[in-house]
Amino acid sequence: MRTPLHKVLAVGFVAALVASGCGSERSESGSTAPEKGFAADALIGVALPSKTSENWVLAGDLFTDGLKEAGFQSDVQYAGASTTVADQQAQITAMITKGAKVIVIGATDAAQLSTQVSQAKQSGAVVVAYDRLITNTPDVDYYIAFDNFKVGQLQGQALLDGMKSRKATGPWTIELFSGSPDDNNSGVFFNGAMDVLKPLIERGEVVVGSGQTDVKQTATQGWKAENAQSRMDSLLNSTYAGDKTLDGVLSPNDTLARAIITSIKGAGKPIPIVTGQDSEVESVKSIMAGEQYSTINKDTRKLVAETVNMVKTLQAGNQPTVNDTKSYDNGVKVVPAYLLPPVIVTKTNAAEAYADDPKLSPLTR
Amino acid sequence: MGHALLEMRSITKEFPGVTALSDVSLVVRPGDIHAICGENGAGKSTLMKVLSGVHPYGSYQGTIFYQGVECRFADIRASEHAGIVIIHQELALVPGMSITENLFLGNEPRKWGRIDWRGANHRALELMRLVGLNEDPDTLARDIGVGKQQLVEIAKAFAKDVRLLILDEPTAALNETDSRHLLDLLRGFKQRGITSIMISHKLNEVEAIADAITILRDGRAIETITVADSGADEDRIVRGMVGRDLESRFPEHVPNIGEVFFEVRDWTVRHPVSAERLVCKNSSFTVRRGEIVGFAGLMGAGRTELAMSVFGRSYGVHLGGRIVKDGREIEIRSVADAIRNGLAYVSEDRKAIGLNLLDDVKTSVVAAKLSKITRRGVLDEAAQYHEAEHYRRTLRIKTPSVDEGVTRLSGGNQQKVVLAKWMFTDPDLLILDEPTRGIDVGAKYEIYGIIQRLADEGKGVIVISSELPELIGLCDRIYTVFEGTITGEIDRRDADPELLMKQMTSTKRMRSA
Amino acid sequence: MSRRRDLQKNLFGGTTSNARQFGMIFTLVAIIVFFQIMTDGLTLTSGNMIALTQQYAYISILSIGMLMVIVAGHIDLSVGSVAAFTGIVVAKAISEQGLPWPAGIALGLLVGALIGAWQGFWVAYIGVPAFIVTLAGMLLFRGGNQYIGNADTVPVPEGFRTIGAGYLPETGPDTGYNNLTLLLGLALCAAVVWREWHARRVRQRMEGAEPAPLWVSAVRLAVMVGVILFATFRFAGGRVGTSFPVSGIILAVLVIAYSFYTRNTAGGRHIYAVGGNARAAELSGVQLRRVNFLVMTNMGILAALAGMIFVARSAASGPQDGLNWELDAIAAVFIGGAAVSGGLGTVSGSIVGGLVMAVLNNGLQLIGTGADMVQIIKGLFLLGAVALDVYNKKQGRFSVIGSLMRPFRREPPRIPAPDTSTREAEFLPGR
Repeated sequence: MRTPLHKVLAVGFVAALVASGCGSERSESGSTAPEKGFAADALIGVALPSKTSENWVLAGDLFTDGLKEAGFQSDVQYAGASTTVADQQAQITAMITKGAKVIVIGATDAAQLSTQVSQAKQSGAVVVAYDRLITNTPDVDYYIAFDNFKVGQLQGQALLDGMKSRKATGPWTIELFSGSPDDNNSGVFFNGAMDVLKPLIERGEVVVGSGQTDVKQTATQGWKAENAQSRMDSLLNSTYAGDKTLDGVLSPNDTLARAIITSIKGAGKPIPIVTGQDSEVESVKSIMAGEQYSTINKDTRKLVAETVNMVKTLQAGNQPTVNDTKSYDNGVKVVPAYLLPPVIVTKTNAAEAYADDPKLSPLTR
Repeated sequence: MGHALLEMRSITKEFPGVTALSDVSLVVRPGDIHAICGENGAGKSTLMKVLSGVHPYGSYQGTIFYQGVECRFADIRASEHAGIVIIHQELALVPGMSITENLFLGNEPRKWGRIDWRGANHRALELMRLVGLNEDPDTLARDIGVGKQQLVEIAKAFAKDVRLLILDEPTAALNETDSRHLLDLLRGFKQRGITSIMISHKLNEVEAIADAITILRDGRAIETITVADSGADEDRIVRGMVGRDLESRFPEHVPNIGEVFFEVRDWTVRHPVSAERLVCKNSSFTVRRGEIVGFAGLMGAGRTELAMSVFGRSYGVHLGGRIVKDGREIEIRSVADAIRNGLAYVSEDRKAIGLNLLDDVKTSVVAAKLSKITRRGVLDEAAQYHEAEHYRRTLRIKTPSVDEGVTRLSGGNQQKVVLAKWMFTDPDLLILDEPTRGIDVGAKYEIYGIIQRLADEGKGVIVISSELPELIGLCDRIYTVFEGTITGEIDRRDADPELLMKQMTSTKRMRSA
Repeated sequence: MSRRRDLQKNLFGGTTSNARQFGMIFTLVAIIVFFQIMTDGLTLTSGNMIALTQQYAYISILSIGMLMVIVAGHIDLSVGSVAAFTGIVVAKAISEQGLPWPAGIALGLLVGALIGAWQGFWVAYIGVPAFIVTLAGMLLFRGGNQYIGNADTVPVPEGFRTIGAGYLPETGPDTGYNNLTLLLGLALCAAVVWREWHARRVRQRMEGAEPAPLWVSAVRLAVMVGVILFATFRFAGGRVGTSFPVSGIILAVLVIAYSFYTRNTAGGRHIYAVGGNARAAELSGVQLRRVNFLVMTNMGILAALAGMIFVARSAASGPQDGLNWELDAIAAVFIGGAAVSGGLGTVSGSIVGGLVMAVLNNGLQLIGTGADMVQIIKGLFLLGAVALDVYNKKQGRFSVIGSLMRPFRREPPRIPAPDTSTREAEFLPGR
């Protein structure tokens, strides 16, 4: 059995394997300067959070189409529903491996991506934080989003306007909700709203019924509807168990607004003024039906279109336009940002605001 | 031969690598009790599995005629439909269900789509009367003894309209009384025209009850003895089974007994759950070097409980008593202590608590004293192999290699592996609990030889057994146990079954020596 | 026996107990080859192999501990929560209390040991089933994570990140490769050669046991050395500044140490004994409670380590750390050949099982499969892998494709035994 054939085969196998392993991919890090542009059909990676809100699904579709139209190859990925952070880390790494030139990231946890972002940077990719700022890293190049502080201010103002329209003078009783604590934007929304509400609370014209005014007390873990609903349930059972009336609820987005309304309806109470954000279909219907009071139109189409424009600018080797170079400090550096203005939508201006939206405009008639 | 109820012709069944049955034929006449004898691994169970459809038609060669028609059973259901019911050695009752529920499991009488429990209970009582079982049908299966559980199994067969009853070692787990009752029952069935096939190791029972005896050896049918023609000759059966003469059931042995080296005094143990129940009451006994000491007693007399509580308090709650070894009182609080002090306990149930069935032969052999093959904290695989090889050769464990899984060994060889495992710990005292249960004549003989060799090496051996002839043939001295108390101590010369039985069933303490 | 079967037996070993594990090695090779083709060679690039190692090091560390827990007949559902809890405690201690990061690691291991001991106490000494204890632990420590962390994301300093995202330094002459990685690879080759030589020597010492022919050893060695060298060059040839990752080195050390412990020491064998038949083990002098306690405590320590490595890699501890990790670890162990009822399984098998899942995941991501489809495919794969094994076992036949990694096995191959009994033929399967 000890034919020399075995030895020949074995030696040949090893030689082949080792030889194929020898190819070195060594290159000096950061040697490829992104400013010089890249191929017009380069790969663009887009890493988005899990498919829990219609907006992200819409954004993904728009990115796929928009990048394709612009002549790029695209790789659009959503994180898995249960293992979000680890999934997104792996997806970004895969995009780097595939040689993406620009990676657009809608972060699941804004602070846990710095290793991947720095890998991306070293491989020569430009990192664009989409909608959510990535923190704790010097390697984010741009931030593109709607002006979230402005969103908060608009929500706060809408809440006041709505309550005034029902009851001309205060004091008004309200409750506050904020978004997920691991999302950098949650605090920005909340602070924007408090920018408007705080003076009135201090003057006693607006009363927070439960006294919970801190961003941590009002947080909604994971932006999950069930968490907002159960918090509202307990508020109704404690603070509003008697005849105390609730005039308004500050809700950071539509999904939570609807959960809050469901809770209030379940308790058999009249629906107060509830704010929202994102212009989700169900909420637009709710506004037209007179339940939810307002939402914010942050047209995902516009945001995606601007992002694709930014990618095109980078491809040509030019500096993309930014309009804010001092507000967005991620803990390590101030990230240059391009901010789009949000629009507040109530029943009165819905038809006008959604006129261009094929899905929403029929609902407003 | 007239009209046979069952005729199996030239059955050959092969497993990958082994031929389990080779050209075996079997003819069973209606109304007979037909015994099948053979050593473990001779192919008895395989033959019955072929008959009952466990090995479906097509997986064996040969033909089966039942009531004159050729049968091709695809599964057990098909054979049960034809009235052939097999009762396995391992009972298949659900412990947490009542007798009635067990009787009709999978076969529940229905009325309007609901289970008709009233009708079921009624029918259960009928069936129980048939097998002589006198219990409340609502009693849970776990609350009745093994003997009665066996009766439930048989009643279950009647619930299925049995014509041919197959019993695989029906009395293996039963005490003498229950065994006798079961044999009477079989005779009763015979009068009702029910045919039985019985696989058994107990030749005295076979002799007492069988109308015909078929002997299998190495997957071949050696002969079929018709008792009415030639009588049942135990020697002839044994010769057929092992292929040689056994001059004696026990090897010749001249005991060489030394000093008392192990002594238990006033040992008292209570039941692990119920605080009032004492399972050992002030038991005292001694063992000499080179001596084989027997413990006789009925099931539940407390023999196993005594042995296990001495072996590192592995049963019950210790209330009092001392152990003296080599003139020095020793403290044994755990199994590890017991092993360190040179004690070994070979349990009665080797599959449930004697072996790790996932292990192979070599890992089983060294399992109770890994320190012996550990060199600087690392297990020495070569040493393990050598040790296992050594016992494989000296105990004649039949296995292609020590790398074989223990489940692939026959009962007798598994028992040898357990013995090897405890001999490996270099014990001074071995406690063997039912060392020959469920193993065949040839292997028993070998195990007796091993026990005698151990005694000759100057070790003390305690043998616990329900078979009185075994104790009388093997032991130098026998203690009798009844309800947790040692009721007698009998020297070999004075031992006879009647005397032992008397002391095993009474509290009066007698001393013959 | 035919020449072909003889050859197969010699090359792959005659025993069948680890069939699933070796089936998995070939599955792994098949999956790698498949994705290597599908991704135009991206799968085996330096960058991807390094990333893969970093991404799955922590899950593999968990699966080592989980293997021991499962072999002992238990399960641990709390590992993800324990990892997250330890992560936040360590991150807070370092960033807010100013603890130096090496002390932070020590603190983390201590916290893990304490949690493990807590769970071990209930399992071993009170007798609460591990399923319940760790289900409680899952809630307890997830809640603890949120309580301490306020659902915040807490960053950790650069030094700490080394254990999750760090590389070996570049030293020595410019060879075009990372020199330390090359050295590691060579050391591993030497170790493999020594191991094979040693195994042959042990077999020679067994009287009557004929060692496998020399060419068998040679072929096996050639394949292993080839694979190691290939991997070495790939890991060493990545971007400047990268090498075989530090987390990979931690994992490798643990795999070697725990394989050795489970296979070659009395303590390791006691775990198998307890899982195989607890009562029999007890009556053989194994201290059941101590084994159970140690297994659970060890799991706590490894979960803590995995949590810290993840935090280091993510540069921060976050509220979603550790979600569903227990499921990944358990899946790896079962794909790697462990039995649900305990008593069977190997460390190396679990690592291979985890690697199969990792490569599958990575490959699907590289070809741009969405996270939803990835989960569906992984789920089907897990079911298929275990079902195939169960089916094979039922049929009593094994697709024994073998053991190129013989030194990592629990037992040497079957040695043809000398005939001492004339009635060997009587031997039958089962009774």
